[in-house]
Amino acid sequence: MQTILAAPAMPAAAQSTSSPAQPAEAETPKLAETAPDAVAGVVRRFFTAEQWAAFEKLAELIVPKFGDRPGAAEAEAAGFLDFLIGVSAPERQALYREGLDRLNADARKRYGRPFAQVSPAEAKPVLKPVTEAWTYHPPQDALARFLREAKEDLMQATVNSRQYREAVSGRRRSAAGLGAYWLPLD
Amino acid sequence: MAANYDVLIIGSGAAGGMAAWVLARAGARCLMLDAGPLMDYDKQRVMKAVCDLPYRGFGRPGRFPHITQASEFDANLWADEKQNPYTYEPQDPYYWVRIRAVGGRTLRWGRASWRLSDYEFKCGDHDGFGDNWPLSYADVAPYYDRVEPMFHVTGRNEGLPQLPDGKLIPDNSRDPQSVQRFIDACTRKGIPTTKSRRAMGTLASSANLLLPQALDSGNLTLTPNAVVREITVDPGTGLADGALFVDRRSRREYHARASIVVLGASTLESTRILLNSKSRLHPNGLGNSSGVLGHYLFDQFYVKNVVVAVVPEARGGKGSRGLMGGGGYIPRFRNLKSKEKNFLRGYACDFGGGFTPAAKYFPLYGGELLRELEDVADAGFSLTTMGESLPRFEHQVRIHPDLKDEWGMPALHITQKYTDNEYKMAKDSMETAAQLCQDARFQVIATHAQMAPPGESIHELGTCRMGSNPKTSVLNRWNQSHDVKNLFVVDGGSFVSGGVQNPTLTILALSMRAGEYIVARRRAGEL
Ligand SMILES: Cc1cc2nc3c(=O)[nH]c(=O)nc-3n(C[C@H](O)[C@H](O)[C@H](O)COP(=O)(O)OP(=O)(O)OC[C@H]3O[C@@H](n4cnc5c(N)ncnc54)[C@H](O)[C@@H]3O)c2cc1C
Repeated sequence: MQTILAAPAMPAAAQSTSSPAQPAEAETPKLAETAPDAVAGVVRRFFTAEQWAAFEKLAELIVPKFGDRPGAAEAEAAGFLDFLIGVSAPERQALYREGLDRLNADARKRYGRPFAQVSPAEAKPVLKPVTEAWTYHPPQDALARFLREAKEDLMQATVNSRQYREAVSGRRRSAAGLGAYWLPLD
Repeated sequence: MAANYDVLIIGSGAAGGMAAWVLARAGARCLMLDAGPLMDYDKQRVMKAVCDLPYRGFGRPGRFPHITQASEFDANLWADEKQNPYTYEPQDPYYWVRIRAVGGRTLRWGRASWRLSDYEFKCGDHDGFGDNWPLSYADVAPYYDRVEPMFHVTGRNEGLPQLPDGKLIPDNSRDPQSVQRFIDACTRKGIPTTKSRRAMGTLASSANLLLPQALDSGNLTLTPNAVVREITVDPGTGLADGALFVDRRSRREYHARASIVVLGASTLESTRILLNSKSRLHPNGLGNSSGVLGHYLFDQFYVKNVVVAVVPEARGGKGSRGLMGGGGYIPRFRNLKSKEKNFLRGYACDFGGGFTPAAKYFPLYGGELLRELEDVADAGFSLTTMGESLPRFEHQVRIHPDLKDEWGMPALHITQKYTDNEYKMAKDSMETAAQLCQDARFQVIATHAQMAPPGESIHELGTCRMGSNPKTSVLNRWNQSHDVKNLFVVDGGSFVSGGVQNPTLTILALSMRAGEYIVARRRAGEL
């Protein structure tokens, strides 16, 4: 499990008593902390049960497990995005909701089943918009627009996950997603 | 009773920092006010893994609708958009990117450092559009000569008239094969290239290169968290006599007094302060008898990743350091000798390789997508266009009639949009860049010519321009107000045109020049 060092939480007064030769920080014990998504599971808040089932399926198809690298399912990318989309602007929420409803409607029309229950081969024609050439402007069609955004979001949510970091750390520093974080200014 | 300072300097970024460096070291007693806090660059940052951030690196949705550069790592550094609002017409968005902290945006700048040439300073003479600056390259060159070594600018001199040689730390590094191939393709087409010119060091900021020496002189007093609202004027003389400011945290108001006022709060913030400084003698804003204050807003338009390509030989994990990595710069090359295109002026391009192109560029998903991404790891090559946008009177900032910021200061309404000239240039740059990549035998995977909205290049310029005619300009050739002799504006507001070059080196040079002019005029007893 990944841990990072906590900032010292000693009261300022305690520092003034230490001798100047010994920096106060050296005496402050560093406490190991763990971020919540390493210790607890997903609580779904935003998508309906049907949208959620379609989204989990989509996540698995778009970013599967690849060699020793986790896919969207292992990285709980859909669960993270349920949270992120749930706190996003209404337009983004609508894009996701309508897109997932369209996936289900399309699968039902073709196969009489919701998207969650189609095979990878059956999903292919439904996901055709993802295989169209990139253009700067997003496509007009709502499903195509949703799929394009979902592909990027699922990739990023997977690569930036704890599970991904644990799988690749030691191989490449940059892939492990370390960065300089700016603390809040006062 | 608080002191009356010789010089009040507003803003601590490139512009204000350089003014303080000159003036305090020359013996002037300076007070510097900055709206943001003073921070410890090392202690303010901690290493974290992206998965430990609350939004997995996506950032809090909606926090920075106009700051594409903000990431969840550095979100706390950027000026809060709710506390610092501004407006525009909905169909013409403007992206205003600010940092409010001692050091300003030099805490985060990309450090690209290019000189302007007489193609910019004398642009009106060259192609008949717009006005010349009231100074020429020869006037500014001696200051560039001094600023470059202070900022440890690396690069390579090429003897190009549009990109004057500098006092550079020579960059003689060998180009990887892919870059060499691209340069050869440019050379065959007669398009010049050079090494990037960049200030060295992780931090090449006012906060470490200018302010420490200015403070060491003993003549600079630095007061952070001081949000200047208005420059005050002596009702008898009409001269500036100080500034009203608000403590950022307590909202308490103060009045600082000085004999000379130097504004360096960044292009649009300085103009905003002047427009908000209305008095009986200056009813349209301070130094605005011309009515030009706020007008001629421009910047450079950016087409990010105008072309993305893959170097075929680097596929399959073969992107070694001898082949991939590195990069360079194409200086402006269009319309130099004659008007050869259906647009005025020109554009520059940054180019470089060695990255993995984003998933969105590949029309694939699932295992096929991941295999392709593995195959093109480190094999990407891309260009970004930086084009000149023409200064136009109708592109302007005004004071919003009701909207105020967190500190009670009236906000700006910003009007700027790109026009046919910029669109044509963007298209030409896309076609040219794609052709060059093909000539270099790269595989082009994406092209577009869509520029980011105005402001996004973070090179906002003009609105307080200099000129020799007080009826059509705000400042004279010394960054000094035509109307108010003890008022100077030393940031990018003074620019008459901007070319394609990132502006900070020129801001630094002009602020140094204005600072030394103030020193000389004070010695002569004229200020
Ligand atoms: C990510 C990024 C990359 C960049 N890359 C480059 C590059 O490669 N090359 C280049 O040339 N330029 C680059 N720039 C632009 C460069 O940072 C600016 O041109 C430069 O910092 C401008 O200097 P300035 O002093 O005018 O303004 P700033 O550096 O913005 O400083 C202005 C200061 O004034 C203060 N202030 C504002 N309003 C008030 C007020 N009302 N009262 C008191 N104080 C006030 C602010 O707090 C701030 O500290 C980049 C900028 C960013 C953010």
